[in-house]
Amino acid sequence: MNGYDQYRGNLRYAVDIVMCIDATASMGPVLDEVKRSALRFPERLQEDMAQKRKAVSQLRLKVIAFRDFADYADDALQESEFFTMPGEADKFEAFVRGLSPVGGGDVPESGLEALAMAIRAPWERGLDRRRHVIVMFTDAPAHPIGTPEARDAHTYPAGLPRDSDALLEEWGYARSQQALMENSAKRLVLFAPDASPWDGIAEEWNMTILFPSTAGQGLEEFEMGEIINTIANSI
Amino acid sequence: MKIGDTVNGYRLITRPCNEDAGKSVWAFAERDGTEYFIKRFLEPKRPQAGSGASARSRELRLAECRDFERRHSEVGEALRQRRSDSGSGNLVVPLHFFVAGSTYYKVTEKVVVADADPTSFSAKEKLVLLRTLALSVRVLHGIGIVHGDLKPTNVLIERRPDATAFHPAKLIDFDDSYLTGRPPAPGVVGGDQLFGAPELLRYMREDPGVPAGALTVAGDMFSVGLLAHYYLTRRLPDHDSEFGVPGEAVAAGAALAFDERLPAATRDLLGALTSREPAARPSIDAFLAAMDDARLCELAGSPLPATPAASSRPSGSRLHMPSFEAPPPGRSAAEAVRPPDGAPRRSRLKINLGGGDHP
Repeated sequence: MNGYDQYRGNLRYAVDIVMCIDATASMGPVLDEVKRSALRFPERLQEDMAQKRKAVSQLRLKVIAFRDFADYADDALQESEFFTMPGEADKFEAFVRGLSPVGGGDVPESGLEALAMAIRAPWERGLDRRRHVIVMFTDAPAHPIGTPEARDAHTYPAGLPRDSDALLEEWGYARSQQALMENSAKRLVLFAPDASPWDGIAEEWNMTILFPSTAGQGLEEFEMGEIINTIANSI
Repeated sequence: MKIGDTVNGYRLITRPCNEDAGKSVWAFAERDGTEYFIKRFLEPKRPQAGSGASARSRELRLAECRDFERRHSEVGEALRQRRSDSGSGNLVVPLHFFVAGSTYYKVTEKVVVADADPTSFSAKEKLVLLRTLALSVRVLHGIGIVHGDLKPTNVLIERRPDATAFHPAKLIDFDDSYLTGRPPAPGVVGGDQLFGAPELLRYMREDPGVPAGALTVAGDMFSVGLLAHYYLTRRLPDHDSEFGVPGEAVAAGAALAFDERLPAATRDLLGALTSREPAARPSIDAFLAAMDDARLCELAGSPLPATPAASSRPSGSRLHMPSFEAPPPGRSAAEAVRPPDGAPRRSRLKINLGGGDHP
């Protein structure tokens, strides 16, 4: 029996979390902290959910690291699969530890492409209750999605939304007919600057929370415990 | 929103957070020298003119907004009309509901919370707490409103400036409220599962045996039973460890075990409140009629029993929650709750439950 099984009642609760992590050079001072936070997250979440008496019967984590397609296409996106905790914790740790803060050139970065990829993740659709959380860690604004320079990159993912309105439709809303996300399950938590496009997304997308940081200062004003707590509160 | 921002005249004076917030973010704010509680809703979002969204997308999102506004105005208006009713003074009703940009906000008074642990109150203080809470619930049920999320974090123990011995309970957060028998859809309906009634948990799971009409004010009464047990004993009733929360146990037909230090009459009342069948639960009027004597709130013996595997304790409350106390060394939990003569306790208090008369 693993740590989550002990709270398995009749109501089975699945939690999927995709962490979108800005791995450009400016994040260097805090990337290690973000990584440590990500690594501590499964245990901390287990404690928090047990306290809240929420019966988590499945926890999966996925990481999408991003830089800038227009700057250097080869490492613009690094994407893991979903890792089931705690059984695949070693694979999750290996992926996270492998992230290093390089490149990106000037701001903005390709954060919206990472967000679009997260929305298209293979979320859990079974079990009784589900929570699908996307967490964005960045200290930079983002290019509009699908700029010609980005699309010209040989690594640019196929089929991503062509503009911000199409991206919103994939995120969806309660009565949406095109959404890829399940409305009652989804949450988007942005640790990002109060700048385009994050401010607009926080204003216009539902189920989205922005915790604004100072652009270019690598999320230094956030206590990692606060970040973990904020994510746990969204579940 | 962030600290220092001003939203519709309200200047945020604390950093917004999502603790115990559900589908919202909250902070304290100041306007014209008065402090308020302000909540930013995460949905719905009103589409803005000038976006490139299709007409169909805009219409669907506007329809969500109309439903949301209607539900809030129905509940808010009904509450405001009963402002003079006994008990309504302890309902923390919305003062201001507005949209700014694409986002909805709600403002209420800021309640100054007592630095007191309600579970350590005297029996008389606990009686005041439970009765003021019940009077607030009675106002809601009297106009056919289900609170929908009764739990310790939504019951604020107010600190009165005159430092009287008695702390009234202020009932907050009507975001999950609905007209009795008319809950939101299963994927939208709110409420903390820990305090949730069995029919609510089954409805959330889209159990075909629980239609929307089955969710009534009786669901609140189940939560009142759990809240009362918590305030009287510092814990929720025990249940089989197979189940995650009390409502699940009751839904499956398993029994809840109430603290044996409580008077038998109180245990009978709590047992009726947590009945599986909603119609078998006493109404809030019956609860008020029954809960009229401080002796019903007394615990026999002072030490508390050890924590069993499946006892439930809420967390994250804005109330102070002390750590659980174990029995004194050398004494088992069973000994700790047994009267000195070893005889089973029997209460001389009797309660006429008179259940089944819900509005």
